[in-house]
Amino acid sequence: MRSKKWFALVATALLALTVVLAACGGGDDDGGGGGGASSTGEGGKKGGKLTVLNVGDFEYADPGAAYYQFDYMVHYATQRPLYYYRPDQTTQPPTPDLAKGPWKISNGGKRITIELKRGVKFSPPVNREVKAADVKYALERAFTENVPNGYVSTYMGDITGAPEEPGKYQEIDGIKAVDDYTLQLDLDEPTAAVTAAAFVLPASAAVPKEYAEKFDKKSPSEYAENQIATGPYMLKNNSSGKVSGIGWIPERSITLVRNPNWDGKTDFRPAYADSIEIREGAEAVSGARKILRGKGMITGDLTVPGEVVKEASQRFKDQLELPPSGGFRYVSLNATKPPFDDINVRKATIAGLDRTALRQARGGPAIGDVATHFIPPEFPGFQEAGGKAGTGVDFLAKETGDPAVSAKYFKAAGMAGGKYEGPNKKITLVCDDEDPGKKVCLVAQEQLSKLGFEPDTRFVPHDQMLGKYCGVPKNEPNVCPNTGWFKDFYDPQTLLDATFNPAQVLPENNSNYSQIKDPKLEEAFTKAEQLTEVNARNRAFADIDKMVTALAPAAPYVWDNQANVRSKDVNGVINQFNSVWDLTFTSLK
Amino acid sequence: MLAYIVRRLLWMVVLLLAISTITFVIFFVLPSDDPALRRAGSRASPERVEAVRRQLGLDKPVIALPWKDSQMRRYYDDLFLHGDLGRSYTNNAEVKDLITTRLPTTIQLAVGAMVVWLLIAFPVGILSALKRRSLADRAVMGVTLIAISAPVFWLGLVALYLFDETLGRFPLLPGVDSYVPFKDDPAQWFQSLLLPWFVLAASFAAIYARLLRSNLLEVMNEDYIRTARAKGLRERQVVMKHEVRSAVTPVVTILGIDLGVLLGGAILTESVFNIPGIGRLAYNAISRGDLPTIQGTVLFAAFFIIVLNLLVDIAYSFLDPRVRY
Repeated sequence: MRSKKWFALVATALLALTVVLAACGGGDDDGGGGGGASSTGEGGKKGGKLTVLNVGDFEYADPGAAYYQFDYMVHYATQRPLYYYRPDQTTQPPTPDLAKGPWKISNGGKRITIELKRGVKFSPPVNREVKAADVKYALERAFTENVPNGYVSTYMGDITGAPEEPGKYQEIDGIKAVDDYTLQLDLDEPTAAVTAAAFVLPASAAVPKEYAEKFDKKSPSEYAENQIATGPYMLKNNSSGKVSGIGWIPERSITLVRNPNWDGKTDFRPAYADSIEIREGAEAVSGARKILRGKGMITGDLTVPGEVVKEASQRFKDQLELPPSGGFRYVSLNATKPPFDDINVRKATIAGLDRTALRQARGGPAIGDVATHFIPPEFPGFQEAGGKAGTGVDFLAKETGDPAVSAKYFKAAGMAGGKYEGPNKKITLVCDDEDPGKKVCLVAQEQLSKLGFEPDTRFVPHDQMLGKYCGVPKNEPNVCPNTGWFKDFYDPQTLLDATFNPAQVLPENNSNYSQIKDPKLEEAFTKAEQLTEVNARNRAFADIDKMVTALAPAAPYVWDNQANVRSKDVNGVINQFNSVWDLTFTSLK
Repeated sequence: MLAYIVRRLLWMVVLLLAISTITFVIFFVLPSDDPALRRAGSRASPERVEAVRRQLGLDKPVIALPWKDSQMRRYYDDLFLHGDLGRSYTNNAEVKDLITTRLPTTIQLAVGAMVVWLLIAFPVGILSALKRRSLADRAVMGVTLIAISAPVFWLGLVALYLFDETLGRFPLLPGVDSYVPFKDDPAQWFQSLLLPWFVLAASFAAIYARLLRSNLLEVMNEDYIRTARAKGLRERQVVMKHEVRSAVTPVVTILGIDLGVLLGGAILTESVFNIPGIGRLAYNAISRGDLPTIQGTVLFAAFFIIVLNLLVDIAYSFLDPRVRY
């Protein structure tokens, strides 16, 4: 009897244990093996090959010249700039990457000192440890004519000795390798905060001079085709370092393999996948669908079309991510010529525009919130500028437009009928000739007509729209409906300076489309740019956002989200900074 | 014969020079976007834009005297002295590399389609001629007329709508974006090209079937054909050895031209099926205003047409003993 009782007890215990274990194990119906990675990328499974579907290719394969989103996606997997952002990070200061710790600003905002980590090595065939002199060379080469970097003069132009025009390579006095691991930069102006913040950009990734200079002497530099890595991955290369035709077949594929010299102990990136293959030339609709239904794939630069976003949000919800892109889209008004040289006409026009209709033309609510000012959500300065409720101006209070407010401002401009009645009814618009820009333009055109204007619209390719018309003040039309701007890093100066600073109106490649001249605004920019403390900068630029909004240069209509999709067996981790999948945190299940 | 070949090769150089000049004039002299602005990026200072412009050689006058200071001089020097087709405005890659990496794909598409259309056209053309005015002949000729009339991009879209394995009504074959290189997966490679081969071959098969039929009908009434029959040769021998042999010569001529054109890039088929060949490269370059790449693909296409024309003319002399150079 005793043995029967004992048996029953053991059996019951085993049964209970089984039940408990079954409950804890859960129903893993994902088809994957391990547990999922978190949104911060921790807990992913190592191994496997990740496939990225891409429409285009590098704009610049050279990290010293790279400026676009897809280029960053690859370069942040192969290069270690001084600073970087963890996937879920949306604030300053950035996380030290090649740097050992935060930058130090001294000398009244005119000196930056950065100490480097030990033990970070270049990939084969260079193989040696990274030194401060390598970062010095990386920054110097970005100022040369053979490395067409588009932002160093904006963010690092105040470095002492920085060339005003791109030319032959020269050492820059203001960049010093004090010792093997200490970098010191001296500036002519107290703008150290934004210069240091720009060290998240790939131009600050170390480049070995003894290897690279022979390539940099060619015009353009051939370093891109022979580049060296410091990150967890590298472009597949041959023994002499050549990647072109091997790890990079232009417009066909990019192959990333593990950098054998990468030491994970010096890096916060986990680098789960063993290899990453980027397949170029994909078609947007079929590519996005293939990812959703396939295995091991994620989007690269592929813009997920609206119909696929809709399908994904209904049928593949957990495979779709819509991070904020950190920017805004707006209908810009040229304030240098009638009728929009009158602030009341601008306010009236903005009040009369239905911004939800403009957003709808671009894809609807899924693509983002209707903008009420310029700094977007989850960006430093957003709350300080008023948050989603806006800055308090009445002409942007209603998303669908406010005819009464519009009429009020037209009357203030001397038009008693509540619509535009002045002599400059005929207004010119230059628009994108492809959707969704074209759709937005048609909506804007119709709305402007209802406000009493007679729009004369020209549809041109996007590059021409910016390069020949909207970006060239002497050719700029009255209205540019397809303008937008996105952050360079998490500092509001990168959003507002090029777009609204009166001192930043350029004769070509201009991004300040409204060209408003306001001495108080210009003074506010100058003061804000010299602040070094993060919170003070956020507040100052939030105030600038309010000032700019009050001047009515444009109608902001959406704070963009960017659609990214992944296959079901991929633990995709979005890097909020770049708004795309982070290759070093994404893993296969 | 040798003298003829040498003359043709010299003439080829002259033709390529003419085509390159016309291409240069069309794309560089006519108004277009400023590639320097695009390459420099939206953040670039005017000084950086100017530096990029200098690097691309766009700061020099297009055509000017002295000749050595013009863009046209730089273009000819690069092309004829260094074999340099320049760099893409889009991603700075060498145009030569862009073309050579895609050439095998285009060859696979063109040659495969050629095999398919010949395999269809020959039996159809021969049987149609032999059974002329029969119901089968009329039906086949009607179908060929439809195939000739249907634009290839439309045919491609219909084929995808019907047979694409992910989107089609009758999912049978891989469709858009399914191309893989032969060395990666031969079976998938073959399947991915089946639909494009048939789509591309459709109108050519129709044209060749009709051409062969009409040539055969002419040849059938010749005296030497009657003589061959009178000699007691079997019908199969009369048809294949005498009739077809004579009728095929004009077909060879246009085959060379058609293959040359396709090797320059079957733009529409490659675009519809998103096959990474020279045609797709040309299409992308045109839509992006990437002038060096457009030029490179135009010159490549011209080169293939000229070379294949020469090969066809040489082959002609072997097929038809009456032809002597």
